[in-house]
Amino acid sequence: MYKSILLAADGSENSFRAAEETLNFINKDTMVTILNVIQIEKSKDAVLHGENTVKQQKEKIAKIIDLYNKENVNYNVIFERGLPDETVVKVSNNGAYNIIVLGNRGLNALQGMMMGSVSHKVAKRANIPVMIVK
Amino acid sequence: MIEKFKREWLTSPGTNIMAGIVVALALIPEAIAFSIIAGVDPMVGLYASFLIAVIISFVGGRPAMISAATGAVALLVVPLVREYGVEYLFAATILMGIIQIILGIFKVGKLLKFIPNSVMIGFVNALAIMIFIAQLQHIFGISFDTYIYVIITIAILYVLPRFFKKIPAPLVALVVLTSCYIFFGAEVRTVGDLGAIEKSLPSFIIPDVPYTLETLKIIFPYSLSMAIVGLVESLLTARIVDNATDTYSSKNKESRGQGIANFVTGFFGGMGGCAMIGQSVINVRSGATTRLSTFTAGVFLMLLIILFGDLVVQIPMPILAGIMVVVTISTFDWKTFKYMKKAPRTDVFVMLITVAIILATDNLAIGVIAGVFFSAIFFATKISKVTVTKELINNNYVFYFEGQIFFASIDTMIDQLEFKKYDKDILLDFSKAHLWDDSAVDAIDTMVRKFEDKGNTVYVDQLNADSRKIVKELSQLNEQHLT
Repeated sequence: MYKSILLAADGSENSFRAAEETLNFINKDTMVTILNVIQIEKSKDAVLHGENTVKQQKEKIAKIIDLYNKENVNYNVIFERGLPDETVVKVSNNGAYNIIVLGNRGLNALQGMMMGSVSHKVAKRANIPVMIVK
Repeated sequence: MIEKFKREWLTSPGTNIMAGIVVALALIPEAIAFSIIAGVDPMVGLYASFLIAVIISFVGGRPAMISAATGAVALLVVPLVREYGVEYLFAATILMGIIQIILGIFKVGKLLKFIPNSVMIGFVNALAIMIFIAQLQHIFGISFDTYIYVIITIAILYVLPRFFKKIPAPLVALVVLTSCYIFFGAEVRTVGDLGAIEKSLPSFIIPDVPYTLETLKIIFPYSLSMAIVGLVESLLTARIVDNATDTYSSKNKESRGQGIANFVTGFFGGMGGCAMIGQSVINVRSGATTRLSTFTAGVFLMLLIILFGDLVVQIPMPILAGIMVVVTISTFDWKTFKYMKKAPRTDVFVMLITVAIILATDNLAIGVIAGVFFSAIFFATKISKVTVTKELINNNYVFYFEGQIFFASIDTMIDQLEFKKYDKDILLDFSKAHLWDDSAVDAIDTMVRKFEDKGNTVYVDQLNADSRKIVKELSQLNEQHLT
């Protein structure tokens, strides 16, 4: 069982599946840190469309929070601003986490080749084990 | 004081210097492109970007925000430069600065809160469309090679960041394609065809214009537009940087700082500028948090021009045009289309009318003012709905008023009353209404008089504290009415 898990969640369906998968690796002493990265590029949208970014991000991961409340998981939530891949790696290096869990974006072959997904970059650069949930 | 200085200048200097360098590299093509839009030598935009960035780093209100020569201001001054020449642009920039300093002193930063989002969305969209249109002359109808350079530039800008983000893609496009041009040659126009580059620091000048009332009449409308547009874009950018960094910044200090920066820039042969949304986002995304990043951006830009000025004139125009096309695509608010479906129809109308007026007048300032005007009218219409309900109690009438009573709503209010009552007690109940101005008070006086003319006794009841106060000051009602 892991003591401390960093769950990178963007609010997508895949990140919810990653959150579900995490339930298999925890006990009552495990702390799951849900990390949501707020992209700086979204600030223009936030201002122009009167959206409160942090509030919106909270809504996005509400489904995961509900699940963890129901399953009595110890968790905390942190919001960080930056590029998703860099920020996940940075946070994982700065804390005492045992593993990073994140969802695979499920890109097709061409997109995967062209773009190099967040999960791929995190797996390449992190210093701790990374679990990518399909 | 020293605490604040340390925080705003010395926090993680390495990251901030790196961010500033990245911004400087991205600023160069834009500064040149905006100079060409305005119809002046590239040096005018480059000097402006250097000076504005360095000055604003000291006097601005928003650390880590990037200000430089901008497209918004460049687009405004096209007719001035065409008809009167660049010296008038310098004079107009100085006056622009003076106007902004005055607006800053009078705390106009607060007034910009009254620019609704619909107008802001119209502003950025019109800005993007205008800069895009300005690039077309550098792309179409020149040569086959031009198309190739444009296409490769745009491809580099979109594909490269997928692989690595450390070096800005525009710089890679500039270096790679300019090298191609220098080695292999191509049938394209270059920056050198459109203006000269000087490898020297800007020096103090007094704009060479006649110092007469005539000159003031020529430049004042331009300076006023430049000042307004500069502040609108700067304060919008400041809000975006506030959001991106989760911090707050002084908008009045920023207005004043923008004024000082433009005032000084005009005396050193630069064109007016303001904060830049795209560059500021690049800066913050690169980790910038302090004034040092903005300062570095300005200084490094100047350093590059002094070192590589000879190469800059060899940059093919289609590379700049390609870069600017991508800049306009990211400036445009792509959520607009969703907004047009979801937002209230009046907001969509205000957004569209702002864009339409800007494109029709080629003037962002007029569009913003018109947009604010229309949204104010819609707002007034929306809240000027007063409803009056009538109740008959013991053979006497009670009229209940509900809503905001002011100059725009009194007509609808009075239309709902029937004055054909005789010899009754009439109670006017304002518990759910608010009186805002002297027109409201006049209207109530009129109503009371009309009822009294027919022998009724009228009581005005349940005024809230504010409403009671203006009634006491302005109304002809007496104590008996207000029991």
